[in-house]
Amino acid sequence: MRRVPLVLAAVAALAAASRAAAQDSVFGIRGLGFLDRSVSARSVAVGDALAPFDPEAALNPAALAAWRSTSGWAVGSGGNRTFDAGTGTSSLSATRFPVIGFAGVIGPRVVLGVTVSDFLDRNWSVQQTDTVSPRGTPVVASDQTRSLGGVSDVRVAMAYKMSSVTFGVGLHVLTGSTVTTIDRQFPSDSSYAAYRQQQNTSYGGVGLSFGVLATPVAKVLAAASVRFSGRLKATTSDASATVPLPVELHLGTYYQPLTGVVIAATVGHAGWGTAADALQAAGQEGSRDVWNAGFGVEAALLRMGRSLVPLRLGYRWRQLPFPIPSAPGVTSPLSEHAVTGGFGFDTAGGRATVDLGLESGSRAAGGLTERFTTLTVGLVIRP
Amino acid sequence: MSGSRSALAVLGLAAVFGCKEQLTTPGRCPAVCPATNLQLADTLLATADVSDTSVRGYVLVREASYLLTSNLDSLQSVALLRFAPMDSVWYSGTDTAHVGKRDSVQLTLQFLQRDSSVKQLRLVVYRLPAKFDTAATYADIAPYFADSNLVDTIAIEDTAQAGSHTFRIADSLVIAPADSGVVSLGLKLLAAGKTALTLGSGVLTSAPTLSAFVHARAPVDSLSKTFSVLPFVALFVMSPPPAQPPPGLLAIGGIPTARATVRLSLPKVVTDSNAVVRATLLLNTAAPAGGFARDSFYVIAQPVVRDYGIKSILWPDSSVSGKMLIHQGQTGPVEMDLAPILRFWGTTSGDSTPRLIVMRVYPEGSILGAVTLSGRAAGAAGPQLRVTYVKPYVFGVP
Repeated sequence: MRRVPLVLAAVAALAAASRAAAQDSVFGIRGLGFLDRSVSARSVAVGDALAPFDPEAALNPAALAAWRSTSGWAVGSGGNRTFDAGTGTSSLSATRFPVIGFAGVIGPRVVLGVTVSDFLDRNWSVQQTDTVSPRGTPVVASDQTRSLGGVSDVRVAMAYKMSSVTFGVGLHVLTGSTVTTIDRQFPSDSSYAAYRQQQNTSYGGVGLSFGVLATPVAKVLAAASVRFSGRLKATTSDASATVPLPVELHLGTYYQPLTGVVIAATVGHAGWGTAADALQAAGQEGSRDVWNAGFGVEAALLRMGRSLVPLRLGYRWRQLPFPIPSAPGVTSPLSEHAVTGGFGFDTAGGRATVDLGLESGSRAAGGLTERFTTLTVGLVIRP
Repeated sequence: MSGSRSALAVLGLAAVFGCKEQLTTPGRCPAVCPATNLQLADTLLATADVSDTSVRGYVLVREASYLLTSNLDSLQSVALLRFAPMDSVWYSGTDTAHVGKRDSVQLTLQFLQRDSSVKQLRLVVYRLPAKFDTAATYADIAPYFADSNLVDTIAIEDTAQAGSHTFRIADSLVIAPADSGVVSLGLKLLAAGKTALTLGSGVLTSAPTLSAFVHARAPVDSLSKTFSVLPFVALFVMSPPPAQPPPGLLAIGGIPTARATVRLSLPKVVTDSNAVVRATLLLNTAAPAGGFARDSFYVIAQPVVRDYGIKSILWPDSSVSGKMLIHQGQTGPVEMDLAPILRFWGTTSGDSTPRLIVMRVYPEGSILGAVTLSGRAAGAAGPQLRVTYVKPYVFGVP
């Protein structure tokens, strides 16, 4: 019992550190931002292949049925990125906390859960240097445009277990804000003063998700979920805009050929093309429908004390909805892929589980490439 | 691994992750740069000056921190000192000593500024009527600077620098009973060339000091004491006398000090928020700038908080001001940075204040510098405002 306070302290440290945001990318400068993957460290380690079965993620509400007792969880991730603009590289890093949640078992068939996860990441910062001649004499102008914040997804969901099928339904509330600033400095001429302009934007929206888990044949678990995110309303002090959000569909299979061995795969589709008109009306490039897929293996090959230590490997690929302009009037689609791995172990007498997931991959559009390595740590406590 | 260690390890990981955050990427357009860029605009507001005026008399001669002595053709000036009364009696233990003979008379002066290229400076000390008219003009006081009133001629070494200098000016000092112990002196500058010398007046500077070695009268004539007195009145008179600036010209500085006031009419875009990155008030001198040879001085501009004419209240924050450096003898165009003031007018503190600036020398009343600028009546040579500002940036929604 003495271990429990330490575990709770760890959860508190994770939860208090920051608003949720899975990853950053300079590619988030376009469209609505960088589309996040708010999944557990276990799912990360198997290339998101377990995401439709992931009770920690906000993807499939039916997956909540996996909780056998009241549980709380938090996921933190940190990593480094190298952005290659073709003319040079820059090293970037960030720390985020993509998912926080808890669930309670209400009777033998019903599980309720609340999850706070990241939906859109709008953290980015761009530095540009140019020469301007407002009075005929050239002066160096250094601009930094920076966006901090994003949109979070607060989901209240319920799973209902039947004999071989589990249903789930979730209510999603999208909320968040960004602070965008642009700073200009004239480092070579002190007769020009620095300039700063800032805009605060708040976001809101409501959505619904439905999911199902089923066992069609022995040793096989299938999952499906669909999410209707409605519309995202963005409001500033003097303007507002509404962007239709996509219908998302995810399918997954989970095959357990041997005890302790799991093979999983997933595929998903999101109709982000529905947001294209609204984005173009706002002066942005249009968005596109996107696919994602993942494949992974989990095998409990090691022991640590009396606990099994599952080892995980995977690969994932996905398209991102907001294209990058590679030349005036020309856009390049953005996609990313990663190889993944990790492991997990129980601790605190089985009352806590620690999962670690490591992924290394890249995302590219046109001649631009961003390579990333991300370590994700997940903690589940069952007090 | 125990549960405690596991949890601590997770805490450690969280702490390590929390220590680093680097988001800034070099921009490469059009891919990873904002959809729009900041746009600068530059405009010349040739008629921004809608009215201007200049008034002399803000810091008076008696309030100045210096005493001006000058033999310039353009400005002659002598210093006038009326010292506080010297006591006629003092007490030593149980003895009461009455002042008898005064000898070894010394005058201590603080040199502030001189033109070191002019040599053989001499200060001629004259005895003035003890209660001379403090409102006297140069012409009124000139007759007292006669040989009959000569006390001494102080030779100033060519290497003398700024600071305190003491000179023995007389072997004896006689004070008529009717003067009640008051001694008044006049100081006139002579030199191998035309020049000026400023002395501390006692306002923010050291005052001239008159000292005398005093012997007591019998029966305690063995007693002696040094008496030192500071001036009760310390001023100077000039020829030609100062006058109000002529209409159409903006006089700044001199003594009594003059200030120029300029009322500006600005388009809203210029005073909106913090958009101004550079604002330059373009001015032209109407005459060579005055002051010590080869010296320079600052002219500052401050916004007016409440417009009460010549007694307007100025915004005291030194960061909300414009500044330009003027060199003695300077002619032609000069420029003053007004961007801090224009940005102030775009803040909640300044948006309701009048678009009025006051230009004055700095520090006022402590320097000799003066400059006369062309006013709006001079047309194209009058004040104009050039403003560089950032056009409102459109972040876009969403």
